[in-house]
Order: sequence, then structure tokens, then C-alpha cells
Amino acid sequence: MGIVAKPQVDHAFLAKPSHDELARQSYASNLRMYTLATIGGGMRTVYDKRVKPQFEKAQGRAPKDEHEVRKVMLKDPYARAWSSMMRAAQEMVWESVVPTVERAQPELNNRIEALVGKPGVNKMGSLSLDPSTVKPKYATAVDIHLMPGNYETERTPNDATQGAFYDRGVYVYQGGMGGDNCHGIGMSLATFIARKFPNLKPKKILDIGCTVGHNLVPYCDVFPDAEIHGVDMSAPVMRYAHARAEAMGKAVHFHQMNAESLKFPDNSFDVVTSVILFHETSRTALRQILKECHRVLKPGGLMLHMELPRTATMDPYDAFYLDWDAYYNNEPYYQAYTATDMKDVIVGAGFAPDKYVEYLIPDLVWCDPAEFDAAVRGDLARGNALARWGESIKWSTYGAWK
Amino acid sequence: MAEPIKIRPVNRGKRPHFFDDPAIDQLFAIVMAMSAELSVLWDRVDTTERLLDQKGTLSRADIEAFRPDEKVHTERTERRNAYIDRIFRIIREERDSLVAHDKMTEYRELMDDLSKN
Ligand SMILES: C[S@@+](CC[C@H](N)C(=O)[O-])C[C@H]1O[C@@H](n2cnc3c(N)ncnc32)[C@H](O)[C@@H]1O
Repeated sequence: MGIVAKPQVDHAFLAKPSHDELARQSYASNLRMYTLATIGGGMRTVYDKRVKPQFEKAQGRAPKDEHEVRKVMLKDPYARAWSSMMRAAQEMVWESVVPTVERAQPELNNRIEALVGKPGVNKMGSLSLDPSTVKPKYATAVDIHLMPGNYETERTPNDATQGAFYDRGVYVYQGGMGGDNCHGIGMSLATFIARKFPNLKPKKILDIGCTVGHNLVPYCDVFPDAEIHGVDMSAPVMRYAHARAEAMGKAVHFHQMNAESLKFPDNSFDVVTSVILFHETSRTALRQILKECHRVLKPGGLMLHMELPRTATMDPYDAFYLDWDAYYNNEPYYQAYTATDMKDVIVGAGFAPDKYVEYLIPDLVWCDPAEFDAAVRGDLARGNALARWGESIKWSTYGAWK
Repeated sequence: MAEPIKIRPVNRGKRPHFFDDPAIDQLFAIVMAMSAELSVLWDRVDTTERLLDQKGTLSRADIEAFRPDEKVHTERTERRNAYIDRIFRIIREERDSLVAHDKMTEYRELMDDLSKN
């Protein structure tokens, strides 16, 4: 019956579900994955065998772009059922975690505050908060991917609730497929950099928009000699990220900052990365953030961002499927991002055109090690852009050398 | 004691509907939520049976304190996946019928065949 992902690794600040809450969260995971894989897996067939032929019969041609595909697909009963289930499953994921976090958090907030307040002696990393940080409208206006309260809701001066909510919620959302610490992408990205560029030996690494550090903490193991920094504009997620990293025994320096105006001096970092950040920012912010990446990067340093693949070069059906979230999962910037040519904007931010790079990186949690070796060597076949976790998923990355 | 915490939406926008009648989308959400509650109950029964097998007696506290180890986690996940597939069979079968063969054609051929005898 397919693969079973591992339970989330516990740590001192993870909100603990009751017996029945755990059962409900596990079910929400399984149901979402079933909807995505089994029902969603039939969407292409329904399009090819039913929707497209009907369109061609009526119009004498195939649908020309994703908008036309969306219009006709969402008239089909199968696509309607799948969409309705996707939306309800997404809501159920968050709902299943709410009671656990609401119950745990007053006490966890106090424990996190006690840790934050401790003088540096017993800590490996650090936390610096800046209440004057400007929180951009694109990141605060709606509940992104339907997460109630979004990233930045702050109820009390010590509140870390949205961080705790995200930590457990993302595990349930991923059905554990992103790794038992939700760390799969970061581990893949860091390992790829370390193996492909063995002479780079970064001393300082920065990850922007790191949220609770799911994909940043693995850098500590891959680059044990480097100083690891992460920034996010939200104080609640930074407080939680700090507590979580300390509980896991990892040295990470977290900073509350807006990535559009980083407080670091020029030429500070050997490597600058982000993971699934830009589909949640405006186009103007994307350009500004890339300029900041260029500024804080040392000459000879590497910038590499993991993001969704670009839809412009895709078949109209694939683009429709990928952009579904933009319309129905509260991702208002998603489609503008997937339409963007990253090379254009990266060069526009000051990087030389011949220093632009993009790599497809297989997911280390699930891939065959030989496939990862091939990616490092540079002879990996281009995969299916819509592959899922547990299949042969490959992460798209875009960047440049300074 | 600290203030209780309430997690509330900031701005979810209007809930989309995919069927012409939004009540059908609501029904989907209700059926899915009910399927979850039955699964929660199933896990609870499973916990009860495991504890009884182990100890021959149990208390509510034992049930609340029980957490699946990796073996139980795997067994339960597989049981849930099979359960989900039974509940949503009707939708999955529509997909299967498009993939494998047109079942209606086959069925009619069979009827035709049978009616000849
Ligand atoms: C999808 S999450 C990123 C997930 C994270 N990188 C990971 O791998 O777990 C997007 C994050 O970016 C942050 N963010 C969005 N715009 C930002 C900005 N201009 N400056 C700093 N952080 C920002 C949000 O607060 C949110 O935590």
C-alpha cells in the first residue's frame, strides 16, 4: 500500500497532541496525501481522455493556455470532486493541529521566553529581534495556504504560537514526506552544494525567509565548520525557531529582519539561500531581495534559491495543475512567481549573466543515491515537473555566483 | 497562569465552491470530517485492544497515555489508507475506468453475449 513516512521527531518545544488529536492529525495527513496522489493522480487522465477531446471536438483545437484548461477542467465532475477534497483536506490539516497548540502554548511560550532571556552561556546559537522590522503587506494580508493567523500574528510580547503551529502543521500537511524533521529540502540543497563545490568550504551561510528553520537546521550537519544564520520578518516564528534549534542541539543564529533590507554589512556571506520563499512575495520584493542577496554575498560566493518550477515553458495542463493553489489555496503571489523568468530577475539584481546557474536537485529523503550522484555530476535527466514526494521529485533551484 | 491562546484566521477570503451548488462542497467537507472521526475512534479501539492484549485490564489514563511506536504507526497508516480508499472508492473508480478500459462498453458486450443464449 505504498510508502509510510516516519512520525515527526519530538523535541522539547513541540506541542504534544492528546491520543485522539494525534489520531485526527494522522488521518488528516493520510487523507490529504490520498487526495493528492490517488485522486489527483487521475486528473491528467481525465483531462487527456475526457476533457481535452471534448474541447477539441467543439473548438477544433486544443486548449491554448492554463486559463482555458482551468475553465474546462473545472466543469468536469472528477476535477470538481478533487478540488473540493483538496480544499477541505487543507482546512482539516490546520484544524487538526489548532487544539493541540492552543492548549500547549501558554506554557511553551513561558518556557521559550525563559530560554530566550538566558544569558548566552548555555546556548549554542542566538536570537535577535527587531520590533521595528517592517512587515510587508504581501506577507501579512491573507492567511497564506489557509494557515489561520498566518506567520506573524503576535498575541503577547513573548508569543511563539504561530511558530509552534507551523512546525506541527507543516509535518501534518506534508504527511511526513518532507522528512521526520520536515528537513528534506534543506538537507538536499546543503548536501548538493557541499558535494558539487567541495572547494567552496563556506564559513558563513545565510538563509532568508527561514520560518522555524525546518530547512536551515540541516546545514549545521552538512557544514559543521560554518556559522549558520537565518532571517525572517516574523518575531513569533523566530522565537520558536531559536527554541527548536537549541532543543535539537544545533547552533543557528536567528534574526528578525525584512529580507528587502538586510542589516548585514556588504560581502558578509559565502552562501545565501532560500527555500520556497519567493512564491509568497511580490514581484517588486523579489527584485529587491535579490539585490540584497547580491550585496551581502562575498565576491566568489554562491546564491541558490529553491522554488517552484516555471510554468511559462510548461504544457498548459501542467501549468493549470501547478497553479491550482494560487486560486484555491490562498497563495495570491504564486502565479506571478511561477510566470517569472528567474534568470531575468537575477541578472537584473546585479549578477553577471554568465554567472547564472540552475540545478535540479533530487530529494535526498526519497531518491536513489545514484540519482543524487548523477545530479552532482551534472547529468541528471529532466524529470516530471509535477512529481510528488516519495516519487522521483526533484527540486528546482536558481542562483548565481558573485 | 498565562492567558489562553486562540488561533484565529486573519483573512481567509471567501471559501471557493467547485460544484454549481455550494452545498455539495459543504457535503464533501462534512463527509471528510466524519470519516476522520470514525478513524479517530478506530485508533482508540485499536489502542484499547492492544492494551488489553498486553495487560488484560486498562484504565482511561492508559489509553490517553498510549502512543504508537513505529510498528503501530505503520500498521495504522496502512489501515487508514485502505479505509480512505473504501470511503472514496466511487471517485477513484471513475479515474480507474478511464485508465484501464471503458467498462460500459465491456458490460454492454457481455449483455449482448448473454442475451443471445
Ligand atoms: C513558505 S515560508 C518559508 C519556509 C522555510 N524557508 C522553510 O523551508 O521551512 C515563507 C517565510 O518567509 C517569510 N517572509 C516573507 N517575506 C519576507 C521578507 N520580506 N523578509 C523576511 N521574511 C519574509 C514569512 O514570514 C515566512 O516565514
